[in-house]
Amino acid sequence: QVADLGCGDVCLLSILKYQKCIEELVGVDINEGRLKWNGLSPCVGDHLDPRELDLAITLYHGSVLEKDCRLLGFDLAACIELIEHFDSEDLAKFPEVVFGYMSPAMIVISTPNSEFNSLFPCAVFRDSDHKFEWSRMQFQTWALDVASRYNYSVEFTGVGEPPTGAEDVGYCTQIGVFRKKAEAAEMAVLEHHGEHVYEVVYTTSYPSLQQINYRRRVVIYLVYREVSRLRRKYQVSLRQDELEAEFIASGNQTGKFTSDLPVPVLTEDDKAMEMAPQPFCIEDKFYVPLQRIIAYPRLGHLCGNVEKLREFLGDMIELNCDGSAVKVDLNDCSDF
Amino acid sequence: MLPSQFSIFRPQTSVHSPLFSAVSVSFIRSHKKLSFGSRCTFYIIVVSSITSMKYEMLWCFLHILDAGGISSSDPGCTSEERGGKVRRDVMDLSVCTREKLTHVRDCKTGSSGIPVKLVTNLFNLDVPQDWQLYQYHVTYSPDIESRRLRIALLYSHRELSNKAKAFDGVILFLSQKLEEKVTELSSETQRGKTIKMTITLTRELPASSPVCIQVFNIIFKKILKKLSMYQIGRNFYKPSEPVEIPQHKLSLWPGFAISVSHFESKLLLSADVSYKILRNETVLEFMTDLCRKSSVSCFTQTCEKQLIGLIVLTRYNNKTYRIDDIDWSVKPTHTFRKRDGAEITYVDYYKQQYDITLSDLNQPVLVSLLKNKKNDNSEAQMAHLIPELCFLTGMPGQATSDFQLMKAVAKETRLDPLVRQQHLARLADDFQRNKDARFELETWGLHFGCQMSLTGRIAPAEKIIMQDHICHPASAADWSKDIRTCKVLSARSLNKWLVICSNRAESVTENFLNCLRRVGNPMGFNVMCILPSIQTSYYDSIKKYLSSDCPVPSQCVRAQTLNKQGMMLSVTTKIAMQMICKLGGELWAVEIPLKSLMVVGINVCKDAFSQGTMVVGFVASINPRITRQVILFLLTSNPAGALNRWYRNNHGLPARIIVYRDGVGDGQLQTLVDYEVPQLLSSVTEASSKTSPTLSVIVVRKKGMPRFLAETGRNLQNPPLGTVVDSEATRPKWQMACRGTVNPTYYNVIYDDNGLKPDHMQRLTFKLCHLYYNWMGLISIPAPCQYARKLTFLVAQSLHKEPSLELANSLFYL
Repeated sequence: QVADLGCGDVCLLSILKYQKCIEELVGVDINEGRLKWNGLSPCVGDHLDPRELDLAITLYHGSVLEKDCRLLGFDLAACIELIEHFDSEDLAKFPEVVFGYMSPAMIVISTPNSEFNSLFPCAVFRDSDHKFEWSRMQFQTWALDVASRYNYSVEFTGVGEPPTGAEDVGYCTQIGVFRKKAEAAEMAVLEHHGEHVYEVVYTTSYPSLQQINYRRRVVIYLVYREVSRLRRKYQVSLRQDELEAEFIASGNQTGKFTSDLPVPVLTEDDKAMEMAPQPFCIEDKFYVPLQRIIAYPRLGHLCGNVEKLREFLGDMIELNCDGSAVKVDLNDCSDF
Repeated sequence: MLPSQFSIFRPQTSVHSPLFSAVSVSFIRSHKKLSFGSRCTFYIIVVSSITSMKYEMLWCFLHILDAGGISSSDPGCTSEERGGKVRRDVMDLSVCTREKLTHVRDCKTGSSGIPVKLVTNLFNLDVPQDWQLYQYHVTYSPDIESRRLRIALLYSHRELSNKAKAFDGVILFLSQKLEEKVTELSSETQRGKTIKMTITLTRELPASSPVCIQVFNIIFKKILKKLSMYQIGRNFYKPSEPVEIPQHKLSLWPGFAISVSHFESKLLLSADVSYKILRNETVLEFMTDLCRKSSVSCFTQTCEKQLIGLIVLTRYNNKTYRIDDIDWSVKPTHTFRKRDGAEITYVDYYKQQYDITLSDLNQPVLVSLLKNKKNDNSEAQMAHLIPELCFLTGMPGQATSDFQLMKAVAKETRLDPLVRQQHLARLADDFQRNKDARFELETWGLHFGCQMSLTGRIAPAEKIIMQDHICHPASAADWSKDIRTCKVLSARSLNKWLVICSNRAESVTENFLNCLRRVGNPMGFNVMCILPSIQTSYYDSIKKYLSSDCPVPSQCVRAQTLNKQGMMLSVTTKIAMQMICKLGGELWAVEIPLKSLMVVGINVCKDAFSQGTMVVGFVASINPRITRQVILFLLTSNPAGALNRWYRNNHGLPARIIVYRDGVGDGQLQTLVDYEVPQLLSSVTEASSKTSPTLSVIVVRKKGMPRFLAETGRNLQNPPLGTVVDSEATRPKWQMACRGTVNPTYYNVIYDDNGLKPDHMQRLTFKLCHLYYNWMGLISIPAPCQYARKLTFLVAQSLHKEPSLELANSLFYL
């Protein structure tokens, strides 16, 4: 769960949405007009190739200085170039809300480094709305104080290397990474019954493999692919047998028919697939045992066991009479 | 028996096509009368494979017009009414021709025929009587460039926040009038700057104005998005309820095409079910499949052949690219320079940027040339794409010939009337139930009403006139059974002919010839032919050779078609009929009460190779029965040439000419009225010295939104053939009739000095739909129009050049 406090034009969120480990993304900004969500909704590719985990994205219109229980207990809160927009009163309120109330496991705060400003042609604030710009000393003092008050540890870093000759001014933007201390994490009692102060501006959820219809769909496509791959392999081997037979019949005793294809190196997974029951053919039907299909790592991961696989296949793919193998025509005309 | 080399058969012609040198024709059979050197009057060609067998016949007439020419030119579609462009189809709405047609000024509906109750896909959109749209112009001081910021500033203003509005950065539409004509507002940017906004009322628009209709369309777009539909192109789809065809790796998204427009007297929303076909296959998967199928040695070539030119969709950012090349030397582990100058490998880039781990590190990269937006001469930018992350789009290459696939897709997308109706009902329900949708409509003061039904009329069935028989077909859709034993109107005997086919096809060809004689006799003509059986790739060469070097009518038959045992008789009948047409014979006729009437079909379409060139097909009837057609050249000289032929055939000029004009694009209607009609008129007057024929011009359109369903009791069906709709669902300014098949056809009479009653015009058009000789049944557009369409299509798709005029008198292009 990641929250971007003061998300502005949702630039950070549209990068974060690609991260596979994130399940919930929240953006909060006080300026509703700037919230743009065009890049946030799922696109065609997200439907065709769904994510592993669910992802819900919500944009709220509201102030970071107000408490909203929907932002409780996040894993990460990012306040990128946010605090310098606060006047002293708001700045005093800020730690109480973010560290004390929301209390995420990790907080990332960035703010301009005023020492770096000496490298800019005009020595004023970088944005007319900035109420202050801190030196490294000022920021670190504030950060350490906040961290100790709310039981966080803090590390400092930054982005924007200074040019050679001016190394001593530090990064262009300074960053503090706060982590909640273990004992504090245990102590924390989440009060989920709070007020909903923020106004929901936009919400979307992504298709994912956690949703049964999408998982089923992916399984069916993979099974089709795997079955037709095995079938083609089988057809090739049949043809090679024929060639070999011809070869021997033609009186050439010198040896076996050899294929030009390089011998692939078998991985662990390949070996597991070799161990599983092999596909077979009865008359013009080709059968692939479900055991063989489940040995295919990705399908094994998606289905877990044969029963689940059978359930997924349902009436979309024909099985043999005892339901232990997928049954297809050996010679499907669409192949040729 | 002839010698086995084709070149011996025609030694005097220099044959440079690969066809004749490569194919040894080992089985040639001919009629007794054939002698060497004599000119054959007919060929039949048996082709053994389908791929290049796009059309059954070879030649064609064509005329290539520059894109800047008469009817293809883009009308300058800038409109001062609005900042942006007015959509082209909206422009057509303002074209008004009815006032000039005195006989239909008061009433444009017909009255004959049996009334039928029809349900439409149109929904009433009610607006209050005095509803008006207020158009404002917004200026900022100091001026702001960013459209985003302009919109944000205006929208955040309290004065406007609870009003229904549409704003593109310059022009603001409101459904309620602001108190002042000029409103001054001021807003503060985040940086504390004060911006003054001046909102000035520029226009008040009634609900029927084209601009309003555009705004309505924008509103409905918004609503559909709120119903979590996904926009692709102009249509909206529901990704949440896909139909899967896993065996062909296809997903179908159901959706709707929706548009608001102004019909006879009211505003209507038309909605039609549409499906988006998506492919569940990445380029990498496609390549591995291909690799397994083909041998290693020619893999790269086959791969390039199949992939280059295709459009792919990237997994991560939903952009489409055209594959221009494949770079086999670049691997994902290679580095490239990012925009900021840093070197990074593709693997790392996709991991960092999109958290995607590439599974195959040996895949090549796809190369796509990016469009040069600035239009300067700088080098075109290239994009490298990873096959694993690109989805294929469009239908698979072999799809059209893959019967199984087409069947599977058709099964899902061809909806029977009842299901179609259910889809529409659900959409209407969504509009009314969804909170957001209803809110949006209410703030604009719109009311989404009920589905419209109306009364159409079924035109009486037509009789089919054969040589010595008049038959009443059981069904107008297909009368092949009814006329099998009847003699065709007129046919020419064919005495010199040749058949060419391969050894393998020998027995089927013999069989076919016997059959042809059998069906030929009762129809009253003798068949003679040549059939060479050729390799697929030679088909194009044969076509060119025969069209330019020796213009001889010929018939191609696929050997596979002749193999179908049970179908032999009907297949042969159809082939025989086509051959009669190609020789200038006539098959059947319908009763046309108007004497001395010439019907002209014109179609225009773009050449498939060179987008700039237009192909114009012109087909005119040259006898009063409209059973014989002629094709001619230049559009301008066309009527004159056709009139000459008519004169020669009938010893006089036709009294009336009716032109059916097809292939009119969106927004071209005005150009048509302004330029093409006068041009036609002047050439008609030029050609005739004393009394010039009267002229009518009718625009034919097959693509259109309204659909009709016939209500029979509780059930819904497609309307019967020949259903005419000329009220309510039609445009107010046009005289219009719709012919109800599954997809109705629209007829818009834009010029008429024949003074035909609507009834007569409708009946005549319906009769003409019976006269297409390639199909023993009713077709959806008048026959001359269909002939022209077939002609232009053939030229645009495969010939790209002018064929010989010697064939102009017969329907050689069938």
